[in-house]
Amino acid sequence: MGDLTVKPDLVTRKTPWKKLILPGIILLVLLLAPSFTSEYVIYVAVLAVIYAILAGSYDLTTGYAGPLTFCHGAFWGIGAYASALLTLKAGLPFWLAFPISGILVFIFAFIIGYPALKLKGHYFAVTTFFFGYFVYLVILNSAKLTGGPMGLRGIQAPEGFLGLNFASLTGSYYLILFFAVVFLGFLYFLVHSGFGRMLIAIRENEDLAEATGINTALLKVLAFSLGAGIAGLTGSLFAHFFRLLHPTTFAWMTSEMIVIMALVGGLGTLIGPIIGAFIVTFILEIMRFAPEFRFIIWSLALIIILLVEPAGLMGIVRKLQRRKR
Amino acid sequence: MSTLLEVINLRKEFGGVLAVNDNNFIVEEGSRVGIIGPNGAGKTTSFNMISGAFKPTSGKIIFQGKEIQGLKPHKVSRLGIGRTFQNVRAFQSLTVYDHILTGILAHNLKLIPSKEQYEMADYILEITNLDKMRTSVVGDLTIALQRKIELATALATKPTLLLLDENMAGLTYVEINETLELLRKVNKEMGITLIVVEHIMKVIMELCEKIIVLNYGTKIAEGPPQEVANNKEVIEAYLGEESEYA
Repeated sequence: MGDLTVKPDLVTRKTPWKKLILPGIILLVLLLAPSFTSEYVIYVAVLAVIYAILAGSYDLTTGYAGPLTFCHGAFWGIGAYASALLTLKAGLPFWLAFPISGILVFIFAFIIGYPALKLKGHYFAVTTFFFGYFVYLVILNSAKLTGGPMGLRGIQAPEGFLGLNFASLTGSYYLILFFAVVFLGFLYFLVHSGFGRMLIAIRENEDLAEATGINTALLKVLAFSLGAGIAGLTGSLFAHFFRLLHPTTFAWMTSEMIVIMALVGGLGTLIGPIIGAFIVTFILEIMRFAPEFRFIIWSLALIIILLVEPAGLMGIVRKLQRRKR
Repeated sequence: MSTLLEVINLRKEFGGVLAVNDNNFIVEEGSRVGIIGPNGAGKTTSFNMISGAFKPTSGKIIFQGKEIQGLKPHKVSRLGIGRTFQNVRAFQSLTVYDHILTGILAHNLKLIPSKEQYEMADYILEITNLDKMRTSVVGDLTIALQRKIELATALATKPTLLLLDENMAGLTYVEINETLELLRKVNKEMGITLIVVEHIMKVIMELCEKIIVLNYGTKIAEGPPQEVANNKEVIEAYLGEESEYA
């Protein structure tokens, strides 16, 4: 029995510096971007960064804890509208509305998730799909509060302090970049912590996890709500960057896009969905010349990617690593 | 020896099917108890009730003087009852080391595992002889090894009582002997009480001090291995009534 050759641990092997090369390059390019690109590229980059946080936080629930969800875009939307309304109607400064919107979405997701997560597999996935749609309908139809299909205008930029000005494009761009690093860093810590290990255990075998002493019900809801909370905070950043909200931004297609980004990059790897978000955002942007066809082309590409490697880009990377050894 | 686990009139019905019929038994602290019986005798169902996976229809399960029937599995586990499953279950994508560390963290969740927890994982790997394959991915290993890892992970939760549900099914003779040796060590050195469900008679006869025999959900015999092996009712349950073939 003892003759098994020792295989390298590909899942949890600690090679932080190697893992940080690609994110480091992306971050460096993003940091320097305002000095060599146009405003248009910066707007695309902001979208990519926002999607990267969304796909990363989505990965906490679906990639690490396991349950497939289709409502991450809705949490993003709730955060965006909550933050915008808190500043517009309640007159709160951004720096208060920002954390409050995150906490609100966290609590909201906890209340939704606790009963819903008792459902398993597809039943839960379908529930989240309709929840996402429900949120969209509420935003669309609460015209008095959200402006409905007219959208919500007049949102202010985050207030500056210590000589920092977030009203300019570059200023608010760096603000979003800063929080992207904070949130993704937090997620990185979380998935590599004991908490992350428990989530992986639940994903791998819920019965065994429960029998081992893991409170699977609570941890799943926590992962779900933490991911949602980060999406809510991202929504707040989004609202105060673009300063204009429209319900269609948070319709079901957005949640779907986040799922696709995570799938393309590789679920349960954190870095995968982040890279997936960049790739998908930029490819869709490049394909703007053919607006009618881009989703058709993109769907075909997605089918091919998933046929070739269901574990996404990170799946391909891991296979190559295995082959090298 | 004092009583560790007491089962009183434990009953489980699935719709109209009676799986466990008002059973009573006592497990002494530090003992090794075997539960045997033909297929469908209610062995796994009894385990599932003790470990919290099933809620009993009626009856009591008293562990260390505390009623535990109906508690969620993770709570039962935290009280000190570990278990393995009849069909091997494992966290497939983890390494052996992480698999065991998960068991340790499950009872004392720390965001960053403490030095003691890492040492505990090393200790478990050592006593279960899994040290050499600590970096192997569990899903790549044989079923026999996965069973062992499942057992090791249960040990990592520092149980007082360990429920083993056919942990040796499908193992070779050599592997069975190895596991038997490990279980004796676990029982003697770590003081863990064992309840073993097993079809392999060699395991039951060699390991257990007391055997409980179930048939159609009802306890039909209880006692030391030799006594149970010669019990007329037990032989009938396994081989059929003599009169049928006489």
